[in-house]
Amino acid sequence: MPPWVDFEPFIVSGLALGGVYALSGVGLVVLYRATGVLYLAFGAVGALGALIAWSLITRAGAPGWAGWLACVAVAGAVTLAYGLLFGPALARRDPLIKAVATIGLTLILYGVMDLLWTTSGGQARSLTLPTDNGGFTVAQIQVTWTQVIALAAGVVLTVGTGAFLRLTKLGTAMRAMANDRDITATLGVPVRKVEAAAWLGCGILGGIAGLLLADLVALDATTLTFLVISSLAAVLIARLRSITVTFVAAIVIGLLHDLLTPIASLTSYRDMTPFVIAAIGLLVLSRHQVMTQSREEA
Amino acid sequence: MRRNNAARRTILLAAALALAAAGCSSSSSSSSSGATGSTPAAGSSSSAGAATVDTSSCGSKPGVKATGTPIPLGAIATNQPGTSFTDIPNMAKAYFDCVNANGGVNGHPIKLYIATEQTNPAQIAADAKQLVQTDKVVGIVGNTSIIECSINSSYWQKLGFYVIDSGIAPECYSTPNSAAVNMGPRYSSDGAVQYALAQHVSKVVFDQANVPGTGYIAAGPNALAKAANVPIVDLTENVPITDANSVAIKEVNDAGPNGAVILNFTPPQALVILQAAQKLGLEDRVKLWGCSTPCNTDFLAQSLGPKWNGKLFVNAELAPPDDTNTTSMNLYKAILKQYGSSVQGGIGSFSQMGFTEAEIAVHALQSITGPYTVQSVNAAFKAVKDFDTGQLCQLWTYGDYPLHIPNNSDWTVTPKDGKMTTAQGCTLISKVDPQIAQYRNAAGTAANAPTGS
Repeated sequence: MPPWVDFEPFIVSGLALGGVYALSGVGLVVLYRATGVLYLAFGAVGALGALIAWSLITRAGAPGWAGWLACVAVAGAVTLAYGLLFGPALARRDPLIKAVATIGLTLILYGVMDLLWTTSGGQARSLTLPTDNGGFTVAQIQVTWTQVIALAAGVVLTVGTGAFLRLTKLGTAMRAMANDRDITATLGVPVRKVEAAAWLGCGILGGIAGLLLADLVALDATTLTFLVISSLAAVLIARLRSITVTFVAAIVIGLLHDLLTPIASLTSYRDMTPFVIAAIGLLVLSRHQVMTQSREEA
Repeated sequence: MRRNNAARRTILLAAALALAAAGCSSSSSSSSSGATGSTPAAGSSSSAGAATVDTSSCGSKPGVKATGTPIPLGAIATNQPGTSFTDIPNMAKAYFDCVNANGGVNGHPIKLYIATEQTNPAQIAADAKQLVQTDKVVGIVGNTSIIECSINSSYWQKLGFYVIDSGIAPECYSTPNSAAVNMGPRYSSDGAVQYALAQHVSKVVFDQANVPGTGYIAAGPNALAKAANVPIVDLTENVPITDANSVAIKEVNDAGPNGAVILNFTPPQALVILQAAQKLGLEDRVKLWGCSTPCNTDFLAQSLGPKWNGKLFVNAELAPPDDTNTTSMNLYKAILKQYGSSVQGGIGSFSQMGFTEAEIAVHALQSITGPYTVQSVNAAFKAVKDFDTGQLCQLWTYGDYPLHIPNNSDWTVTPKDGKMTTAQGCTLISKVDPQIAQYRNAAGTAANAPTGS
């Protein structure tokens, strides 16, 4: 076992990785709570936005802010368009079918990105933010402001969306609609408009996450599209319900993942961390549920 | 209750996806069973803009279009999300288009059929059969695939094909019927480690993508480090890398302040690690960083920026395009500009490989006086000896050897203000690597014949 000092830098990197998982995971839970859809294209729309931002900034010479806005706008527009086109048709279908349908969108976007931003010929791209240039040092590791922003964004997202869903009229309507669309409609809630707002909001979150993740992880269609799968572990632990639990689980997963890195015998298996923790979490939760039900029945 | 059941099913789907991802996490790239595509790609050259350098020297009759019976050649290239080697046969096609527009080969145009695959063994075997049985190709030029050599090697041997390719799998370098213009991951990594050892580093950390064949690749660098009495640490990373920060910290901690970190990854993955190291302020915490040939792209140099000038040293299997002003290099650039509209990566190692393979093939085909058959074409390929490609450190020889590593001498380049520049001229890869020693024993003087340029 390495000395404690060897673990210190990995605490810093683990928090940053946890922040990455939290950004995606919280976004997934927010939309699920608002629309009842597990939006698996969350990573793909962010990746598309980030690649468009890269093209605008690098190829067309657009200013950075225009590229970032375009990223968020594209992710929002694609998600909104999907929601408007397929939302009504899928509204009464099982949540499982709704989730599977978003895999279709994921694959289409992934194919488009692979076609337009090919990696043939050794092409490598990167999207850096001005916040990469500043920061501070912890445990001999430089922490950039982008990493701080990503972590803070997770916290803000968790607190902000939690408050939005509980305290605002639109948020309440979203929750009601996710529970039962028909009853919500009969109560006079304009479900199509509320649904559109939820999709747009989720797309914007996807765009912001895509922008930050392109900087923090990689500007690569494959990486960004499927990063959402690792984040699913945190979502699973939260059972698609609690934004706070998702955030905490994501941070714990990131920390544990990176703390395994310096341990030679376990380092090769560290990528399994999210899924092992998710499996353990689900087992514990199931056992707790069974025990609670047994007590209630007794 | 109904909603709870539905939510439970959604959670199950998420769990299934997560488990699938866990199961696939050590795989570098997804494979799919896409249809085998065998695309005839000859004769119809499209202009990518007016060339400023005359390309007519590629053929024997400048300006005269070849109208004879086409000579059908074939190529198989990996083309899947995240991994595409199609630039190599596409550049070979660009060269053939140029030749076809300037007299062809003794009046015959070359028709290149390009088949693509997605790392699916059955599909790769089918590609080969389609090229031979349907397209009736008489030679294979421009193959570049992750596993094609492993799958089709015995098939080519059985039919008497002598393949001119860009190698990746071990069989591309260890069998009688494959001769590559590049070094491939093992010998290129050898070159990067060799450069680091020459700078007197105290330790080497060799990190590569966790894909099939890592043990074979690492054997070369390990042999070199062991011979130099320098400790070496072998690492592998699942790709795509999502935890570049921890990867970079681990590499630097393992290497130590006087050590070297050598990467063997595709450019996007290497870039992710190097940028993470830069953001964490780790780039100066080791003596040097090294990389095998894939990092030799201006894309990487531009993305990294000036902090890596003289800090990162990349093995270059082919002549550095920015630093080379030879007839061959100028012709390569001119053909790429005029005929290479389908070459998406532009100037770089991949298109250089395609150019080199095509010029070797044309050189061999021009020596044939009778009909262009499988026998005559492959005999001509095998007979290529001491050919100056203008792109390699050495003269290129196929020869009748049990194994072929005809490119075993390299450059080292380093980024400088957004471009890769030469840090070290042609240097033979050490024969401490037992495979290199075996080839040099088999090929004799042909193994290290330097070019005149």
